[in-house]
Amino acid sequence: MHSILAVDDSASMRQMVAFTLKSAGYNVVEAVDGQDAWEKAGGRSFDLVLTDQNMPRMDGISLTKKLREDPQFKATPILILTTESSDQMKQAGRAAGATGWLVKPFDPNKLIEVIQKVIR
Amino acid sequence: MAETSTDNSQSAGIDLSQFYQVFFEEAGENLENMEQLLMKLDIEAADDEELNAIFRCAHSIKGGAATFGFSDVAELTHKMETLLDKLRRHELSPTAPMVDVLLSSGDSLKAMLARHAGAGGEEVDTTELLFNIRAFVAGEGAIVAAAPQMPVAAEPVAAAPASTAVDNAPLSTAVAPTTGQRVVELRVGPLTDMAVADNLAELFKEITDLGTIEVMPDDASLANVRRFKVTTSTAESELLDLFTFHVAREQVAFFSLEAAAPAAKPAAPAAPAADAGFGFFDDAPGSPAAAAPAASAAPAPAPAVAAAEKASGYGFFDDAPGAPSAAAAAAPAASAEIAVAKPAVAKHAARAEKPQAATLEASTIRVSVEKVDQLINLVGELVITQAMLAQNSRGLDPVVYQQLVTGLTDLDRNTRDLQEAVMSIRMIPMSTVFSRFPRMLRDLANKLGKKVELVTQGEATELDKGLVEKITDPLTHLVRNSCDHGVEMPADRIAKGKPEVGTITLAASHQGGSIVIEVRDDGRGLNRDKLLSKAREKGIDAPDSMTDSEVWGLIFAPGFSTADQVTDVSGRGVGMDVVKKNITSLGGTVEIDSAEGYGMRVAVRLPLTLAIMDGMSVGVGEEVYILPLSSVVESFQVSPEMVKTVGGSGRVVEVRDEYMPVIELEKVFQVPRFDWEHNSGIMVVVEAEGGRVAMLVDELLGQQQVVVKNLESNYRKVSDVSGATIMGDGRVALILDVGSLVRRSRH
Repeated sequence: MHSILAVDDSASMRQMVAFTLKSAGYNVVEAVDGQDAWEKAGGRSFDLVLTDQNMPRMDGISLTKKLREDPQFKATPILILTTESSDQMKQAGRAAGATGWLVKPFDPNKLIEVIQKVIR
Repeated sequence: MAETSTDNSQSAGIDLSQFYQVFFEEAGENLENMEQLLMKLDIEAADDEELNAIFRCAHSIKGGAATFGFSDVAELTHKMETLLDKLRRHELSPTAPMVDVLLSSGDSLKAMLARHAGAGGEEVDTTELLFNIRAFVAGEGAIVAAAPQMPVAAEPVAAAPASTAVDNAPLSTAVAPTTGQRVVELRVGPLTDMAVADNLAELFKEITDLGTIEVMPDDASLANVRRFKVTTSTAESELLDLFTFHVAREQVAFFSLEAAAPAAKPAAPAAPAADAGFGFFDDAPGSPAAAAPAASAAPAPAPAVAAAEKASGYGFFDDAPGAPSAAAAAAPAASAEIAVAKPAVAKHAARAEKPQAATLEASTIRVSVEKVDQLINLVGELVITQAMLAQNSRGLDPVVYQQLVTGLTDLDRNTRDLQEAVMSIRMIPMSTVFSRFPRMLRDLANKLGKKVELVTQGEATELDKGLVEKITDPLTHLVRNSCDHGVEMPADRIAKGKPEVGTITLAASHQGGSIVIEVRDDGRGLNRDKLLSKAREKGIDAPDSMTDSEVWGLIFAPGFSTADQVTDVSGRGVGMDVVKKNITSLGGTVEIDSAEGYGMRVAVRLPLTLAIMDGMSVGVGEEVYILPLSSVVESFQVSPEMVKTVGGSGRVVEVRDEYMPVIELEKVFQVPRFDWEHNSGIMVVVEAEGGRVAMLVDELLGQQQVVVKNLESNYRKVSDVSGATIMGDGRVALILDVGSLVRRSRH
């Protein structure tokens, strides 16, 4: 079973994402912000990281950068969930090493659709 | 705005409504938080961290609201977010009117959320708020128009040369669904049978209101691709749904034809599928870009795929780790973009990595109050059992039963610790009460034309949740009273040589087993003569010999008001007498201190919890009664000559030249007597509701913490009794309602 690390500081979004992923048969580990995700990512591997961008303590871009420095996460797909679809955000995401982005709000179907493109 | 429009609570077979409750709670917390931050915001020197935190609140609500389909909430928060974003980027400076509008927006959001949560209420009209926010946002444009729009505005210029065909860039769906009529290029292909493309065009024409479609000359570089010029106002995703009856989704792509498009939406050209709602970086790790070389060799199909993805609301950076292969064609433009982006990225990261207020969410759990109360109840029973064991073991020889006695001592200590720990679960910090005051006071001061600053102290002081709920109203009244009657108008204050801005201080602290909450102001204070004459006017007995504190206490007399005129702020029928009554009913006391011209201090003393009370047990005949320790003033041995009979049956006792009524508990509760020669020789002086009485008892048994059991819910209401407890020996003892006994003495 594929494992996904889902990071969002909003409990409702996190629950929604986790529920959607679990319903689609993925194993989900939740984290409340980048720092929490970074701690939870230690010592284990995930098939995908789904992270919100704007979070307290550590945001999604910083998390992506940190994860990419870790050999364990060198090739792991990292998707940033964001409400800002600005060019600037995308450049930051790309520079940080993110795999892609998904604009909020999104339909649960869409989330699964996107995830299936990167996890096979 | 594509981001703010969602419509469904049911998608992917997942019922989104199951997350509503969490969203409402979370949004409520965010709104509270935002309000507090806004209240604290120093307009002159706004702290970046605070602005970021406020932004994040609005941002978080917007994200949830849009996801769960509360479009009105999403719309307003989106506008707020736009304004807040400009503030945190220092493109705009905060002003008091902005804060006002943001605060009112918060109120509207609360009302909207309450409505969505099923609490009813009118539909919230946000027209004015939206207009105002838009005006603030636009106001910046007028003032700072000369200044370049920082990185965002600079990028398209730099990125344009790299992106060889600007007008070929796929059109943004962020613009598409909401903009009106627009002209796009539709590419269908590559196709094996070109007739399919014509079928598409026919289909388009058949459907009314879709727009117009014209065949464009074939582009030599695009083999087997048919181009159409489409004028439509229908969203691309809908068009795609329509076309996929005939062709594969990947074979359809839209491109902007309007020259104005790149200018209007500078972000669009920078990357394929920009603003499309998703994207992959093709060179990043994990990217599904396995077939990248092949894909880039055939540029035509690649944008087609990108466009299809873009329309569906997400995307990959083609060369990114894990990104799907198809979007690879965008690589050249994309890599140029990286170079351009670097300074911006660095700046962004620097901002993001600042330490931010940690959320407590990770370390807290939500538990229903009932569960906690059940736990408290069980621990209460345990405490009683432990006390019984302790009492029964008292006669045992410690030498013979050494281990048992040691065990019981441990049990005693552990039970006490357990009780304390369990009680602390119900304890919540006073900040939850205090937090409502800055806003209230601000509105009130504005209304009265006064300038008032609120200072809070001891916000971390904890109080039982049940008490917190009950103390909020009395405190609100006291704070309103201070602002209305205490603090003077700014001009008066200046005339008196005081600072123009008045200060109201709310302070909470623990003192022994009580919590003391003070409301202080530096206003005009109380005037002794004015209070006395007013009291006499109202027919209240007020001799000149009254001490100052007794005179101050007059304001708690029913129907007493110190304001010369009734205002709609404090003089609303509910007087200070109700405040006092409410506090007393919680087992608390109120004290007033004042110095004319310098202000006033009202101190409310409350027990920490309603479930446990420090009591003094007294014996009358075979019965044991508990007096709340907080009401006990003193006790003394009485000699017969100290007691005098007045007016037939009433008895008074003289204590230090002061007479107070005597209450014989024996008579009040009709305690049966078996020893006819007894002599009740002890008086316990108790104080409540501004009066003192002396209670005649047989003996003082001791002081202890008692677990309060509600008599009313377990039995029925008994006058003069506020509750009951179970003693160490298993017997029930009644807890006396001192206030009611004091009242009884007045009749």
